[in-house]
This record gives sequence, C-alpha cells and structure tokens, in this order.
Amino acid sequence: MIDLKNIIVRFGDFEALHNINVNVDKGEFFTFLGPSGCGKTTTLRTITGFIQPAEGKVYVNDKDITNVPIEKRNIGIVFQSYALFPTMTVYDNIAYGLKIKKMKKDEIDTKVRTIAKKVDLSDEQLGKAVSQLSGGQQQRVAIARSLVTEPEIICLDEPLSNLDAKLRVQLRTELKHMQKEFGITSIYVTHDQEEALTLSDRIAVFNKGYIEQIGTPNEIYNHSATEFVCNFIGDINRLNDNIVSKLNEHGAALDPAWHHYIRLERLHVNSEPKDDDVILKGVVKSREYYGLYIKYYIDCEGQELKIIEKNDGINLYDTGDFINIVISARDLMSYPPKEA
Amino acid sequence: MTASRLKQPKPFNTEKALQLIGFLCFAYLFFGFMLLPCLNTLTSIFTVKDAAGNVDPFAVIRFFLAGNMPRFVWNSLRLAVVLTITVNIVGISIVLLTEYFDIKGANILRLGYMTTLIYSGVALVTGYMFLYSSDGIMTTKLLEMFPTLNPKWFSGYKAVLFTMTFACTSNHALFLRNAIRGIDYNTVEASRNLGASPFTTLFKVVFPTLIPTLFSLTIMTFITGLCAMSAPTLLGYDSINPEIVRLAGSSVADESFPQARAALLSIILACFTILLLTILSSYERKGHYLSVSKTKAKLRKQKIDNPVLNVLMHIYAYVLFIIYMTPVVMIVLFSFQTYQAIKVKRLDLGNWTFINYYGTQDYQYLTSRGKYKTIEGSISGVFSNEATLGGIHTSFVLSVIAAALACVIVVIACNYIFKHKKTGTVLEYALLFPWLLPTILICYSYRVFFNSNDIWYVFDQNLYYADRVRILMIIAYMVVRLPFSLRMIKAAFYQIDEELEDAARNLGSSQIRTFLKVKLPIIMPSVLAVFALNFNTLFTEYDMGATFASSYGTTYAMVIQSMCREEGLYGFNVNASGRRCASTVFIMIVSGIILYLVYGVGGRDIGERIAARERFKKLFSRFKKKEA
Repeated sequence: MIDLKNIIVRFGDFEALHNINVNVDKGEFFTFLGPSGCGKTTTLRTITGFIQPAEGKVYVNDKDITNVPIEKRNIGIVFQSYALFPTMTVYDNIAYGLKIKKMKKDEIDTKVRTIAKKVDLSDEQLGKAVSQLSGGQQQRVAIARSLVTEPEIICLDEPLSNLDAKLRVQLRTELKHMQKEFGITSIYVTHDQEEALTLSDRIAVFNKGYIEQIGTPNEIYNHSATEFVCNFIGDINRLNDNIVSKLNEHGAALDPAWHHYIRLERLHVNSEPKDDDVILKGVVKSREYYGLYIKYYIDCEGQELKIIEKNDGINLYDTGDFINIVISARDLMSYPPKEA
Repeated sequence: MTASRLKQPKPFNTEKALQLIGFLCFAYLFFGFMLLPCLNTLTSIFTVKDAAGNVDPFAVIRFFLAGNMPRFVWNSLRLAVVLTITVNIVGISIVLLTEYFDIKGANILRLGYMTTLIYSGVALVTGYMFLYSSDGIMTTKLLEMFPTLNPKWFSGYKAVLFTMTFACTSNHALFLRNAIRGIDYNTVEASRNLGASPFTTLFKVVFPTLIPTLFSLTIMTFITGLCAMSAPTLLGYDSINPEIVRLAGSSVADESFPQARAALLSIILACFTILLLTILSSYERKGHYLSVSKTKAKLRKQKIDNPVLNVLMHIYAYVLFIIYMTPVVMIVLFSFQTYQAIKVKRLDLGNWTFINYYGTQDYQYLTSRGKYKTIEGSISGVFSNEATLGGIHTSFVLSVIAAALACVIVVIACNYIFKHKKTGTVLEYALLFPWLLPTILICYSYRVFFNSNDIWYVFDQNLYYADRVRILMIIAYMVVRLPFSLRMIKAAFYQIDEELEDAARNLGSSQIRTFLKVKLPIIMPSVLAVFALNFNTLFTEYDMGATFASSYGTTYAMVIQSMCREEGLYGFNVNASGRRCASTVFIMIVSGIILYLVYGVGGRDIGERIAARERFKKLFSRFKKKEA
C-alpha cells in the first residue's frame, strides 16, 4: 500500500531522515514512535506531501507520488492541533473539502451528516462553532473532516496529545474502533509508547532520523532489536556486573562486556523458582502502591532493582523487608556495547 | 537537492500574476509616495539659492543658527520632556487608582479617565478652551471671584502642558491598564506575606514589571510632545509643527527661504523621531519581564490601610475625575443651549435647544447706526451648516477610503511577509518607513513635491491643484497609517495556526481560496478593528489637513478649529461655540460607537456570534408568538 524507499530529507545542511524504508499494508494501523525530534513527523509529512524528500521515493499502491501535489494524493490528515477552521461551524469544517470538490449541496449535506453520525457528532453539534466543543468532540470533527473526502490513507499526527489522561485513554479505544470500522490504512505518529502499543498493528521506532526497529507491539516490547528500543519502550532494569556474575555462576553464559536488561514484570518477589531460575537476595528500599499493582525498589547486589508485582491483596512487603528475587536469564535482552 | 516544504508546480498562474502586480503596485507606492517626496524635502535644504542665483548649501543652516529657529526646537523639546513627566504622573495615577488601589467608585472614575479615548486633538483642545480660555466658563467664574486674575491665563506653554497632560493619557489608560492587569497576584500576595506594605509592594514588585510598558509609553509621549500640533496652534505656543505649517504657507516675498526652513525643521523632527524609535526598538528587543507563573492569579485591589492616606487618595482620584469630566459634561450640556446662554457661559435650564445640532435661525442685531439688521440663517446646527457638513463629508470620505486602503495593503503585505521570510522583511521595513518620519514631514513633502506638473509617475498632473489635493490627502492619510496597521494586523497573523493552511491545502484548497476562506475570516476582527481605529484617528485629525491647507481639503477638524475664531463677527456664525460643542458631542458619539463595535461586537468569536444569533432568534420567535 505505502512504500517509502530510501527516503532522505534534509533541512539545509541538517539531515533529518536517513535512508528511511517503510512498507505499510492496506488497512493496517501503523505507528511511527519515537522521542521528540526523531523524524517521525517529518516522515509523516513526507508521505502527505508537505515535505519533499531530497532523495528516495514515496509509493502508494505502487504508484510514485513523490512529486504529486498535496491535494491530489488522497491522503487525509488529522493534525496535532486538529487545525479546525475557527471561523467556521462544525458543519462547514467537515464540508470544506467537499465544497472544494464542487459537489452538489444535497450530496455534501448527506455526506457530512453520514460521517458526523459515524464519529458520533449530533446534528446540534454540527451547527456549533468548533470553539464550543470539548477536546474530544473537536478530535471527532477533525477525523470526520479528513474522512469525509474518502481518502485512501489517513495520517494522524499525535491527535491525542492535547487531551487529558482520562480522555486520551477513552478516545484511544474509540479511535481504534473507528479505524477498524472504516477499514482505512492509518499512519499514526506518537511519542507515547503506551498509545503505540495499544493501538498499532505494527510500529516503527524512530531515533535521530533512523528507524531502529519495525515490528508488532509484542516484538517491539519483548524482543527489542536495539538497546535504544529496549530503553525507550517501557520501564526496564539494566543489570550491573555483580548480578550478571551471579547469573553466570548459575550457568547463564552472559557476556560481561554486553549490556543486559530485564523488564520489571519479569522479576518476581518471593515466588517459587522454576527450572533455571536464579534467586537473588534483596532488601525493600521503598514501594509505590498503584492499586492494580505494586512497584518495589529493591537493593540487590549493589544496585537498585525495580520490580512490579500484581496486587493480590495478600503479599505486601514493607521497607526494610528481606526478600528473594527470582530471575531467569531467558528473560534478559542483551546488547553489545556501542563502539566509541 | 535539498528538502523543503513542498512547493506547488510553478507555471505562470493567476497567483503568480497577482503577486507580480502587487509587487509593482507596492514599489510604485514606496518609491513614488514615500521615498522620493521626502528625499526632495531633504535636498531642498541644501539647494537654496542666494541673491546672485548661486546654490548655497549651508544658507538654511546658517540662518537656523543665527535666527530664532532654535527657539522652536527648544520649545518643542521642553514641552516633550516635561510632558513625559506630567503624563506619566497622571497616567500612572489613573491606572493605579482604578486598577490597583481599592478606591470607591472606581468604575465611574475609569469612565471619566477614559473620556480621552473618545475625543482628542482639536475637539479636546477646544473643549478645554471652552472652559479655560479668556471667555471660558471657568475663567468667567474665576474672574468673578478674583477680578485681578489675568483673563488670558490659559494660554501658551502652561495651557499646552495642562491640556496635553490630560489628553495624552489615553495610551496609559489602555496599555498600562492591560499590563497591570497581567500581573500575577500571587507575587503581590507573596510580597505582602513577607511583610511589605501595599506601597512597598507597589514600588518593589509591581512597578518593576511595568517598566517596559512605561518605557514605551514615555517614548511615545515624548514623540507626541515633540510633534504637538493642535494644542500649540490653538493655545498659542511656538513649537516646531505649527511653525512648519506656517512656513509652508509662507512665500519668499514674506521671509527668507521659508520652505527650506520648514524642510529643515521637518528633518530635525525626523532625526529626533528616528533616534527615539531606535532606542525604543532596541529596548523592546531586550525582551520584557515575563511571568513565570503556571497558574496566574487575577490581581485583587489593595486596600489602603492608613485612613489619612486613604482619604487623600480618594480626594486625588476625584479631583482628577473632575478635571477629566468637566469639559465633557459642560460641552454636552452647552451643546443644547442657545447662543445667548453660551455667550454668558451660564446654563439656562429652562431653555434647551437642538439648534446647535440641526436647523437654522435668523439673527438680528443692532448696528452702530442704530438699525436692526437681520442675517438669515446665521445660527445653524452642525448638520445644517454647509461648512461643517462639508468638513464632515470631506473627512468622512477621505478617512474611510484611506483607512480601508491601509488595511487592504497591509493584509496583502502580511500574507506575503509570513510566506517569504527574506523579501518579506524588506517589505515590512518599507511599510514601517513612514513611522520614522513625522506626519508633518510627509504631508509637507507631498505639498511641495506634488505641487508640480512635472512628476511623470502621476502623469504630469499637479496633485496639489484644486480637488486633486483630495487624492494627495488620501494617499498621505493612508501612508501615515501603514505602520500602525502593520503592527496590529501582523500580530493578528501570528494567531493563525500554520497547520490550518496545511489542512486547507490537504483538502484541496488553492492559496487564494485558503487566504479568503480560512485566513481572512480569522484576522477579520483585527482588520476591522484597525480600520475603525484608523478611521477614528483620521476623521478628527488636524495636523495633516492644516499642512495641506487647501480649501478643497478642508477637514472636519479644520472646520472646528475655524469655529474658534470666526464666532459672531459681524453677525456671522453666531452660534459657532454651540456648534463646536455639538461637533465634539458628535465626535464622541462616533468614536464611542466605533470603539464599541471594535472591542464589543468585533471582539466576538464565531461561538459568541452563533450564541447571539440564537438569542436573537429566540427573542424574535417569542415576539412572533405574542403577535399571533
């Protein structure tokens, strides 16, 4: 469906994207994930046509659209700020693209009302000014406006970043639901890893203008291809030499020169060890109570380990408690150190 | 190949053609009506010919140093310096009394202090004259109490200083008020909590944050004082601008090279203006104090704990209020009085009239030969007097056209400036060019330069001749309003989210359509506000009209000014004072309506407009139901 081939984007002397290659399948929900300034929005804007690559090609359905003007690409966009026209009503915002296409009034009306219904906007809301709507409603208008012209692809540039945490979680679910209902190929840009993991079919993790890894959420989380991805996605413990030695004493065969990481939920407190599990001794330094789970900070072999335990309502350890930490070398993700 | 924001294909399309036409028009305006006339003025100083017909480049400067011309410069400087002190004292006072201290009746006081927003210039000066001139109401009363008082006490430097002190506080009332309202109240609370009194807090916490605004206001006041025109002219004070106007109208037969001297004075004024604006802009570039507060608290008024001080502050507040309001109240009241009542400056409560506004009356008087003579229609209202109506008509038409043109040019220019960084900056500086020059220099340059049949780019037409002077005035009006319009409209353009343009383009909108349908509606309230403020200023402006001094371009302010001197002479214009009062009331109403439209109605966003429309619909349907 979408193919980015060897895309290089430069701003003056600065190379913002280095040889980007991405393939997005039809109907897929594909996310560009990465920290600020990593090139994810630049890649999105290259697809939509706001930025022209210095090198490389953009293909949609095997057709080269690198030099096709923005308005002829048939790609809808939902902007981070929604970019709703403040001087128009909700109805006029949605109808804007249809009016440009010089459709008949009746047809515009039918299309606007149909799409509004699909994104859960009432007739009364259509007559309102965009400033009279809440953040969530504005997001729906932005989606409706981009979908009403029936684009092949929809690009969403951090559309949830302006909303409060609760609404973000709520709309995230709705967004996914809408995407499935419309069956439209979606490219989503975010720096929020939780958002990326919950929404996406596949994720491309960006760093400094490169793609570090492309994969499903599970691949990205549990089998991070690079040390950057492993650190960027979720919380993680990097094991010190003492713990690595302990594990090696139990036959783990870890290279001490490499960096070894383990996710918080892969460590367990006072649980029964299995086959090749190793037990380490530790003292609870502090704990954070989240309700659903409890996060412990534990002194172990000269380092602070973070561990997440499901809240079973029975086992709760206090500061100063001596505990056993159960760890398995199979759960480690290891990376060679980067050359200086 | 370097990446850039994607540019559309570049065939020679309508947008390109329009851009080229715009560029040519602007170049014509800049070179033809800004640069060349002013350069001509500058060169005229150094091309004066002596008696033998030889060019003597330093003749004017020698004359300047030897003659009395430095007096005008000194007088203007003295006025400007003292004004910065007095205006700041009164301006800061009125803002603190209404916004910072808890003074009873602050809302009423604020209304009084803001009256200068709806009447200024000639209207305001004549208002003060109505009260304080030799036959003014206050002077008449004072003479009854103190017969030895000089009836002409309100004239010259002191009168100009007094009048302008109160006339020039409008900027304080607007900008300093906004600045003080923007102060984070938590900082005041913190200071009080640490043991500081309200006054210590004022001087140590509040004032330092106001310094940037006060600095800008001081510079603007200095320039206003330096370029003062209507007050010195009407109250008799020898300063630069009135002298330039006088010299411009003088001929070689009357005195030595008057026009080159006028040019020199204009250039001196321009040098001061440029210097001050440079200081101002370099200061502004240093940046202002920005609140670092994430949760700014609204300023709450401070109670003055010391009872004596509290009473004194209240007295001070109401004395200022009386000074501001007395001319307004008197003008409104006397505008409904007969000429007899106005003449003796005594309100005749049983005899109100609209004659100063509308209608005509005959005037009968006893001649020196003992016969009664009747002059038909000698008493006439603003809207029945041909000269006044003519002035209103001229000012209205010229102001509307010039204000609209300035807005259109600036909107188009801003759209270009925001898209083209480098060439846009050149365009921006070109539009700010008139700001560096005193208004009087521009008008004087026009008057001299275009009073010729040899200017090819205006098709060899003498634009100062007959009714063509109106074209010249429109251009002058427009040119002097360009910098202000640019500053305001550019600020509005900053409100436009760049993503809106991207969104419109993504939906297939052309650049012109995006501009007309998306960007223009967003900035429209600001454009209308600028149009209204431009109109307001131009409608009652006096300086430019006086500089052109053409019977074809007699503006409203000039008519008002003329009413001060021709009253009652040989039974002519018997009720000139009454008509002047009515004129001022008319100006106050027009200005008031415009300010309401700009800040009241114009400030509404689409949400508020829709809500207002719905309210109106409901009201209308209820009314219909009742009728049914």
